[in-house]
Amino acid sequence: MDGSFADRLLGALEAFFEGVVRFLPGLLAALLILVLGALVGWAVKAMARRLLGVARFDRFCDSAGFSSILTRADVRAKPSALLASLLFWLVIASFLMAAASALRVDVINQLIAAFFLYLPRLISALGILLVGFLLGNFVSRAALLAAVNANAPSPRAIGLVVKFLIAILSFAMALEQAEIARSIVIAAFIILFGAVMLALALAFGLGGRDVARHALERHFIKGDAGAVGDDLTHV
Amino acid sequence: MNDAAPLLEPLRARLAEIGEVDVLVGIPSYNNAATIGHVVRAVQAGFAKYFPDQRTLLLNSDGGSSDGTPDVVQNASISDFQTLLAAHPPRAVHRIVTPYHGIPGKGSAVRTVFAAAREAKARACAIVDADLRSITPEWIDLLVSPVLRQDYDFVAPLYHRHKYDGTITNSIVYPLTRALYGRRVRQPIGGEFGFSGRLAEAYLEQPVWESEVARFGIDIWMTTTAITGSFRVCQAFLGAKIHDAKDPGVDLAAMLTQVVGAVFALMETHAGSWRDVSGSIPVPEFGFEYTVGLEPVRVNVERMVGIFASGVQELAEIWERVLDPETMAQVRALAAVSGDAFRFPVGVWVRAVYDFALAHHRRAINREHLLKSLTPLYLGRTASFVLETAGSDANDVEEAIEAVCLEYERMKPYLIERWEV
Repeated sequence: MDGSFADRLLGALEAFFEGVVRFLPGLLAALLILVLGALVGWAVKAMARRLLGVARFDRFCDSAGFSSILTRADVRAKPSALLASLLFWLVIASFLMAAASALRVDVINQLIAAFFLYLPRLISALGILLVGFLLGNFVSRAALLAAVNANAPSPRAIGLVVKFLIAILSFAMALEQAEIARSIVIAAFIILFGAVMLALALAFGLGGRDVARHALERHFIKGDAGAVGDDLTHV
Repeated sequence: MNDAAPLLEPLRARLAEIGEVDVLVGIPSYNNAATIGHVVRAVQAGFAKYFPDQRTLLLNSDGGSSDGTPDVVQNASISDFQTLLAAHPPRAVHRIVTPYHGIPGKGSAVRTVFAAAREAKARACAIVDADLRSITPEWIDLLVSPVLRQDYDFVAPLYHRHKYDGTITNSIVYPLTRALYGRRVRQPIGGEFGFSGRLAEAYLEQPVWESEVARFGIDIWMTTTAITGSFRVCQAFLGAKIHDAKDPGVDLAAMLTQVVGAVFALMETHAGSWRDVSGSIPVPEFGFEYTVGLEPVRVNVERMVGIFASGVQELAEIWERVLDPETMAQVRALAAVSGDAFRFPVGVWVRAVYDFALAHHRRAINREHLLKSLTPLYLGRTASFVLETAGSDANDVEEAIEAVCLEYERMKPYLIERWEV
């Protein structure tokens, strides 16, 4: 009985120490990878800040409307600093995955493989959102300017509608790309987009019937809609 | 040499056949069949009356008209020179109709004229628009003779125009060009110009023919290049300018964007030339000035003030990124007044234009959006100008424009201080 207990105890301890000895190199490798990741992350961050500074990224964000959104969200950091930080954390996350992989735990390895397979889709979805945001701002501002210069009623509403439509489109595309509730997203998008267009058509057709007729008359019958009652040649 | 084949081979062959010429007049055109016949006859008569002993060439540089413009140019002729008090010219007036090479636009058409002038070794040249209804043979004399007989390099036009005509020229292009480069060229975007063969050569050397200049903005580019290149510049009084209404499809905002964008772009190119210039000097004038009757111009002031007020309300977010805070506050205050009492003081206007030039320089927002957002401000200033000068005659209006010019010159240090900041 005693012999059996001692054997069992020694066996367990031996197995434990064997496990520790087997796990220790992986742990050390993981720690080393993390340290290396931190160093690479800092280097990438510093380089990104310098390159973004040279490329006048903050000025671009000012003109694209990013900075004002950050200000409204009470984010005080410069866009270049935010992007550099984002790159830093991306590097850290990548090295974290590599470190976890070095531990050689099956479940973690499967999760990592799944994550890396999904990563391109996630990046594409974020890219679509970014392009949608930039395009929405640009086109809605163009619509606002055109509406003001044409003396159209409610120019701000026209700009907002344009921005909203582009936001819906890009959001739906991003979700579809990220494979999040794909069928629901597509159905919701079709319903929402269709509803918005129908509402606009009804609003324009019923509420703005006179305005529409007047605008069409000015455009097709009297010539330049922007010059009713003027003979000015300007140049 | 910037010589990327501006001449098509048939044109080159025809020029070789003609040989050297003394005077070349170019007519850029695009669907001007209704008016170009009159312009061609005026040029032909001008050659016969004022340059009978010179070798002359009329060159129509056409942008692919579909209304028969080239046929009209080929067939237009004067049958009886005696009625013009001119002898039948002893030398034939050479006439060429050619499509141009390059980006579609007036700039490319004009480039072909420059290249033909170089090829034919023309001593003096002129360009006249194809949509002119008031051109006379004297215009050719007035545009060409200062070059041929007085050794000037560039002749800008001087017109009598209705007091409300050419408001972009009067409120932005003329005063700004004058304040920047120090020369009082009254119609820097007139459309009619005389120039020497030497200047045509210099124009061709500029690396601009693949840029926006090839499409539009050629007029202000020619004037500015002549001034900043230290060429001898003068202006000639041509009388009244009456031309076909512009394409109604081109709206005011697009026109303003093109014209002001060209002026601002030239500010970048010639920043080294204008920073040290203060004040301005007149340029020599030729021609006999006389008063002309002008057709009345309808102006809808209420609509202009309405667009200005809408701009103040809707575009504040854009203007806040463009205008100095003090200017922005002043602009906001202006919108509180409407009707005949509405005024847009010249000081506020000049600061606003300088702020827009600075925002264009530092790319504060997308440049097309920036220039389009100037339209409500411009209409506000134009409405104010119309109200201020409602009872004024042409001389009073010219004095009012002079006051605008002086304000631009007075406030130029404001622009210079902020240009590189």
